[in-house]
Amino acid sequence: MNPLFILDVVRFELRRSMSPGRMAIWIMLVLFPIALITAIRLLSDQGAENTESWGLVLYLLVPEVVCLLGLLLWATPSVSTEIEGQTWIYLAMRRSGRNLVLVGKYLTAVIWSFSAAFVAATACTIIMGSAGGLKLWFVVCVLSLLSCLAHGALYVLIGTVFFRRTMVTAVFYTLAIEYGLSLVPAMANRLTVNYRLRGLLAEWMDWYDARTITENIGGQEPAWFHVLILLVISITLIFVAIQRLTWTEIPTQQEG
Amino acid sequence: MIQLEQVSKLYGTIIGANDLTFQLSPGAYGIVGPNGSGKTTLINLLTGQLRPTLGKVAVFKQDPWRNRKLLRRIGLCPATDVLYPNVSAYEWVTYQVRLHGLTYQDSKQFAAESLQQVDMTEHMHRPMGEYSLGMRQRTKIAQALAHRPDLLILDEPYNGLDPVGRYQMTELLVKLAQQGKSLLFASHVLHEIEEITSSFLLIHGGRLLAAGTAKEVEQIIADTPQEVVLFGPDVPKLIPHLADQGWVDSIQLLSERTELRIGLRDPANLYRSLASWISGDRLQVDRFQTADSNLTAVFESLLRHHRGELK
Repeated sequence: MNPLFILDVVRFELRRSMSPGRMAIWIMLVLFPIALITAIRLLSDQGAENTESWGLVLYLLVPEVVCLLGLLLWATPSVSTEIEGQTWIYLAMRRSGRNLVLVGKYLTAVIWSFSAAFVAATACTIIMGSAGGLKLWFVVCVLSLLSCLAHGALYVLIGTVFFRRTMVTAVFYTLAIEYGLSLVPAMANRLTVNYRLRGLLAEWMDWYDARTITENIGGQEPAWFHVLILLVISITLIFVAIQRLTWTEIPTQQEG
Repeated sequence: MIQLEQVSKLYGTIIGANDLTFQLSPGAYGIVGPNGSGKTTLINLLTGQLRPTLGKVAVFKQDPWRNRKLLRRIGLCPATDVLYPNVSAYEWVTYQVRLHGLTYQDSKQFAAESLQQVDMTEHMHRPMGEYSLGMRQRTKIAQALAHRPDLLILDEPYNGLDPVGRYQMTELLVKLAQQGKSLLFASHVLHEIEEITSSFLLIHGGRLLAAGTAKEVEQIIADTPQEVVLFGPDVPKLIPHLADQGWVDSIQLLSERTELRIGLRDPANLYRSLASWISGDRLQVDRFQTADSNLTAVFESLLRHHRGELK
């Protein structure tokens, strides 16, 4: 798969998705954590030095909420919108159309979501003042990127398995697995992306107390292991999605 | 160029293609059939979008489902509309060509040439959201042509076009056929295809009912028992005339005796006699509906003939 072709798909997808509606959603995603952090900042009597509490709030709002919402909106329907818009057949008629378009749309969704997360994290860190700091900002940004890559791959796969009710399925998965199961202190939660992200947050921020308290929902493994698992998850899910899309008969239009 | 061997396609319990067997050499062909007859299923099988449930499909001697590189040699203009409102035709066609693996420079050049071929050069930098249906149809053909395929497949290219658009589309397709481009052209309107090619495949119920030139197909249709319906208060008075004719298969009086349905072996005999019966007996017949005005009826008759229900 030639990376230059994928870049062309990304460029085309960015070009066509640059609409007022999408920009409005992007701005709302950015403003949502900023508004909450500002409100907490104004109303809370927590000491400015309580970096851990502020960091957890920022982590929950950005990599776990902003990224997931963005990806739900932009990665999940990447194939189903083409099918519903009856434009899938044009892409499927290209020699490498299915593979390139899937990967290109995935990267486009990652770019949209990560850019919102990045701006939100930056603004929130500024609002948090001394409770934030460069280290927390950097860690949250890297976690946002990893969240976008792994969750994006997950949602793209869901989109290639469920051509109908894609969004409902993805929302159900998110609530049941990424928010529900990942908080259950059992072996099963290690299969979730959020478990790895929480582990990385505690590891990179050196929050040993937090990690001890939440060891079953945040993981005790070393950082490199979490990153490796997240990258393996992302690549494997995208590979499976490509295979699924390549060898599936996709409804193209009303039979004539 | 195309070879189908006993190809069937099932959608669950619904049959989309039923035991299709035929071969096509390079050239221009029309696929004729009413809506829902299986034309698009056939096109999807030829382009590797569907895998046959039974049988073998080969295009340029290769299986289109397994060999996606084959798509480089096929251009498809689907029946469905395309609309990326804020993207221009030039950007879209360039992108489509690029997905075939051509270089960026070649993609741009091929896109510009194909848009010129369909007279879209003047508008190709405008967003597609501003295009008329005719302009979008031409853009669709441009994307099918742009990578210079050996076989061009068009599914209902006249859909939604006004008379001027239809004329322009016919001109374009005739030009392509004259250039020696292999065309496969699906429509439910026979005369649209007739203007472009004289070779037809008649499809109905997923079956290939007939194949041949326009004259051969017309002869098949003429030889096939057909149904004619007469409407009016005096249509029952035509029954004594019809009952004596050997070429009448059946007579049905319906709708409170104002609709007469006649099954015929040779409609020409009826056409010759009907006017004299009506004027001779001073009958009031308001409306006359032939099978020609209802392609589905012709195809139903052909299907029954194909099944051996009519001799």
